[in-house]
Amino acid sequence: MVNLVCSCFAMVLFLSGCGWNDTPTRQNDFIPLTSIVITAVSPTIAAGTSTKLTATGNYSGQFTRDITDQVVWSSASPAVADFKYSTAPNRARVSGVTVGSAILTATLGSISSPGLTLTVSGATITGLTVTPASLTLAKGLTNPFTAAGTFSDSTTQDITFDVAWSSSDVTVATVSDDIASKGSAKAIAVGTATFTAAFGSKSGTAAVTVTEPVLQSIAVSPQAPSVLSISTASFTAIGTYSDGTTPDITALVSWGSSDTSSATISAGVAKALAQGTTSISATLGRVSGSSNLRVTGGNLTGISVYPPSPKPVKGTVSRITATGIFSNGTSRDLTGAVEWSSSDSARATVTSSGGTLAWLNALETTSSATITAKSGLITGTSTLAVTAPTVTSVAISPTSMALNVGTKSRYILIATFSDSTTQDVTANSTWATDSISRASVEDNDMATKGRVSGVSSGSATITATYGGKSVTAPVTVTARNIQTLNVSTLPTGFIAGTRVAFTATANYFDGTSMDVTENTTWTLDKQPYVAMFTDSLNQPGQVVAVDSGSATLTATFGSLTKTTTITVP
Amino acid sequence: MKRTGLTILASCLSLFFCGPASAQHSGPYVGAFVGGSSLLTTKASNSLGNFSISFDPNLTGSAVAGWDFEPGNPLGEGRIELEYTRRSNTVDQMKFVEGSFKGGGKVTSDSLLVNFFGVFHDAGRWAPYAGVGAGVARMEASSLQVGGNPMGSGSSVVLAYQLGAGLDVALTNYLNLDLGYRFFGSSKPSFTEVSGRKFDMNYFSHNAVLGLRVGF
Repeated sequence: MVNLVCSCFAMVLFLSGCGWNDTPTRQNDFIPLTSIVITAVSPTIAAGTSTKLTATGNYSGQFTRDITDQVVWSSASPAVADFKYSTAPNRARVSGVTVGSAILTATLGSISSPGLTLTVSGATITGLTVTPASLTLAKGLTNPFTAAGTFSDSTTQDITFDVAWSSSDVTVATVSDDIASKGSAKAIAVGTATFTAAFGSKSGTAAVTVTEPVLQSIAVSPQAPSVLSISTASFTAIGTYSDGTTPDITALVSWGSSDTSSATISAGVAKALAQGTTSISATLGRVSGSSNLRVTGGNLTGISVYPPSPKPVKGTVSRITATGIFSNGTSRDLTGAVEWSSSDSARATVTSSGGTLAWLNALETTSSATITAKSGLITGTSTLAVTAPTVTSVAISPTSMALNVGTKSRYILIATFSDSTTQDVTANSTWATDSISRASVEDNDMATKGRVSGVSSGSATITATYGGKSVTAPVTVTARNIQTLNVSTLPTGFIAGTRVAFTATANYFDGTSMDVTENTTWTLDKQPYVAMFTDSLNQPGQVVAVDSGSATLTATFGSLTKTTTITVP
Repeated sequence: MKRTGLTILASCLSLFFCGPASAQHSGPYVGAFVGGSSLLTTKASNSLGNFSISFDPNLTGSAVAGWDFEPGNPLGEGRIELEYTRRSNTVDQMKFVEGSFKGGGKVTSDSLLVNFFGVFHDAGRWAPYAGVGAGVARMEASSLQVGGNPMGSGSSVVLAYQLGAGLDVALTNYLNLDLGYRFFGSSKPSFTEVSGRKFDMNYFSHNAVLGLRVGF
């Protein structure tokens, strides 16, 4: 019952919003115009000059409106004073032709204003002043100049519209003599120029100095991105200058973060530290721009290094990883984000080679050395011992491989040593194929050594060699026509920081199927702000959620494409 | 006199909330309602722009004829009814770019709606209800004025709807007192300005009603 009453009350409040309270855009044209009043800047002008009039309409005494551009202007004595221009904004400008008086009226519909008497005097100009007398203007900017005339009857009058404007160097700065924009200056190029305003026998000048273009605004992009904690985000600053140019000024600006506990930034690269939102600013001189950065994925509470206690053989390299444990219950690979160090770098070191790859280098024998992965104040360690046994045998796993043309899979090489230990030495081995036209094997990059690609139908033999020991394994390559491509579904609980390894399975017309995750091209349309790939080289298809939203994951294998909508709640 | 009134009011309230439950009526009924209608400030628009019209609240009156579902009806507990309502609100002000001006004239709505109300019966004498209605309405703008000058008039037939909620108080097995709220809205009626130009306006109103329903 209480819920019902509350719901009804909430509904009434919601429905109350149906009333309209915005600003009207329509003029009141229902109340009739009853009178018009004309005003003039100067009721007396010199012959050859002009002045602008204003017409104000009174609507039944209820409101007034400026109707200068709506009325029809007329002069009872056009030989004395006349309206020469038919287009706004100069329709209301009246020019003194000869000495005398003229009655001016404004008419709208059936309503006419009382006549305004304009006197045209025979005063002659005695002085002319241009304002400002000097101006420094950045390239691309505009600025109005005005001209004031002093006349023989001791009056002064704005004659900006009546003078002839010119520039001594139009390649540096121009000043408009067009009736629509008289006196408007524009800075064209760095340099100096002199503007001249001439009326009758008098003229006035102004010095204009054009400087280099000035920065007017900074646009920081991307706007409002989200990133996971203990990761980086790159920002770009684009400046808009007075001359209309928009160069990339990322390297010129000073970068700042409003909340350095959430993220710090240097040279446009923000390092996300802890959950929160911070304003990333780019400043150059007195101009700045900003973008809000949202850091998601929980706060780092611990680091786990794997393997925790390895015993690598001297001279080998092997993979080592660091996994972050976060306050929101998620964990993710931080191998490429942590700082690696060794307690004895003469005997063991770690080399981070980008992405999520780091290599443990066993240099000299030691009974104990500590490898540390550090992020801020959080550390994780692995204690290792480097041994120097001799290799007694090597073995390939798996023992054979069946591939389809255009697909890939990996062999690994396991060495057995004189102390009965074994070690994955894939990255330390040399790999070769006896038929590159049927199956190729990668041997250059340590991260991809042992990866075999099916090239054409037939058989090939792969040979792996380590420590003078060799072993072979067969590869059978079959040409099959793909029928459909399936992508694994998104599990529930996909929150910021959660990883999901999508897999792609190719189904062939002969009824067979194959995991082609590693052969598939994976793309995300909202990367990296809704979700991002963890490591496209070594973990293709593995996605980590970044922030709430939906993104489309596209898997392409051969001519087939499969899309999946990823929703992060 | 005042004491007598208070005594009567207290007696009625005690009857409503403390009296024994009456048998739930099912079958046909008719009813009549009176109340107040507050027409929300509306946006009027055409190619010349938007302006607003605000209205004075006014009385509203309705007549209904319907059917109370019997208990256990597969459609649920409630009633379906045909409702005719007249709402008429005088124009208070009109607001343009230049400001607000005193308005004149009125906008009248005659609506014919089919309503369905779900009723939440409990053991007591009173039962809350909520529901919706839909139908048509004839909107008439009469002698609209702004600042003492003619502004427009006209009529238009539009689709109409309402959301309603309230309390039923069973006075007897066949007589119910109904205290309700209705939000009434319609598609935009179109009227004619004095210049001959058309303009559309929104129509939303809050309504509080009190009525009696007699069952058979």
